[in-house]
Amino acid sequence: MIKIAGVRKVFPGRNGKDDVEALHNINLTINDNEFLTVIGPSGCGKTTLLRAIAGLLPVDDGEIVIDGSPVRGPGPERAMVFQNIALLPWDTVLANVAFGLELRGVSKAEREERARGFVRLVGLAGWEHRMPGELSGGMQQRVGLARALAVEPKVLLMDEPFGSLDEQTRRLLQEELLRIWEATRTTVVFITHSMEEAVLLGDRVVLMSVRPGSVVEIVPVTLPRPRAGHVDTVGWSAEFLAITSRLWTRLRAMQPDLVRSPEAAAVAS
Amino acid sequence: MRSFASSRAGVRERVVDSRWTYRLIAFVLFAGAWEFFALRAGTFFVPSFSQTAAATLELAFDRKVWDAFLLSNQSLVFGFAIAVALGIPIGLAMGRFRGAEQFTDVYVNILLVTPMAAIIPLLLMSLGFTLASRVVLVTLFVIAMVIVNSRAGVRQVDVSLLEMAHSYGASEWQVWRRVLLPAALPAIMTGVRIGLGRAITGMVIVELLMVSVGIGNLILRYRGFFEYDRLYATVVLVVIEALVLIAVARAVERRVTRWVPAGGLRD
Repeated sequence: MIKIAGVRKVFPGRNGKDDVEALHNINLTINDNEFLTVIGPSGCGKTTLLRAIAGLLPVDDGEIVIDGSPVRGPGPERAMVFQNIALLPWDTVLANVAFGLELRGVSKAEREERARGFVRLVGLAGWEHRMPGELSGGMQQRVGLARALAVEPKVLLMDEPFGSLDEQTRRLLQEELLRIWEATRTTVVFITHSMEEAVLLGDRVVLMSVRPGSVVEIVPVTLPRPRAGHVDTVGWSAEFLAITSRLWTRLRAMQPDLVRSPEAAAVAS
Repeated sequence: MRSFASSRAGVRERVVDSRWTYRLIAFVLFAGAWEFFALRAGTFFVPSFSQTAAATLELAFDRKVWDAFLLSNQSLVFGFAIAVALGIPIGLAMGRFRGAEQFTDVYVNILLVTPMAAIIPLLLMSLGFTLASRVVLVTLFVIAMVIVNSRAGVRQVDVSLLEMAHSYGASEWQVWRRVLLPAALPAIMTGVRIGLGRAITGMVIVELLMVSVGIGNLILRYRGFFEYDRLYATVVLVVIEALVLIAVARAVERRVTRWVPAGGLRD
């Protein structure tokens, strides 16, 4: 279980002025085996929150506690999937997937054996000895996912992993992720800017406000599981649309609506 | 009949497409222009292309010339090796650690902008007419290029790769071995290759201006005896050595940086 209590993060501005408060009093409990999606307007600090959970960014106030121990830095029970994928371009697919195991001192034979299994799991069997530069964006992110899964984390942190992919690739990967997750049920914190993605994947959707980021609402997603295999039925169900439209209403209310106000539109143009 | 025509066309295409064809054309134009203007000048200060070529052939089989090249290259080998051995770690440290940068930045800039020939009297006074002073000068010629490129290599490492490595618990040593060094390698190799060119320049200049041995001594002697064709021939031989060494460096560079996509690194 991850307990986030009173977390605040401030990025100092230049010359000690213009400090930016990115996170403001975040309180959140993430249950074991839960798929939690986080959504919010751009610049709401959702990635900051994830980086704080990953231990890549110290917080200024409050605490993040994972299974009783406070986060002081990166830890072996967490693994991250990055928006810009961050594969080592000089290594093969197999070496990239085995990277986390390599850093932990697992022998070459063993880590490659285990990596091979995860390469197969993400559907890249036969591509083990290719270089990342030879892969499409979707395939690269499959490698990124396999690398995270290979260290067998208790918590999988995903930072808009499909954000840079095209719509079709994105849908296929969402389905793939559902299939893998519904078989493994690790705890997942998944950042996204897509409402459909948040609802399709998540057990609960956390809605964050514009800067300073704070939790506005937590929307439970009551869609039945397993969703893998019938993503299309789920995706066009009345319930799916109802949750999505509720999220959109809240998100839209947070943004200045330039369309409805002629004065604002004039300023913007 | 048809197949004969098409195979002829194939040969023609291959000849036209080959970059060697264009290199040959460029070389013939260059040699022709040299020959023409040298003959028009009509002075023995400017030997013609054919005279220079003949002298080059003659010197290439001259024991005395080989001895001179061997002697000169001592300073190249040692000076270049020292510059690479010192320059790469210094550049890497400067790229990674702010402290190292602040400490050494000004000296690297001095090395970059100082006309090296001006240092020669200083070297002469401290080290005398020795191999050591030749080696030091070659090192000074080369090291700034190696440092600056190694530093740039570390600086341009994709920060998301560093963050990724940290998130998987990499130690500083693992970050160096698995991220920083491989990422910096293309830039390091570029620095080494440019440094090699500078090493050859340094090797000859030091002999022309300071310690009159080897190739520099040959050049000075040919000038003294007004043997300008041999003088130019010596320069041609130096150029040939430089081209061969740089081609070798380029081959090594390509071998170790095969992962770099065509068209350079992504950001």
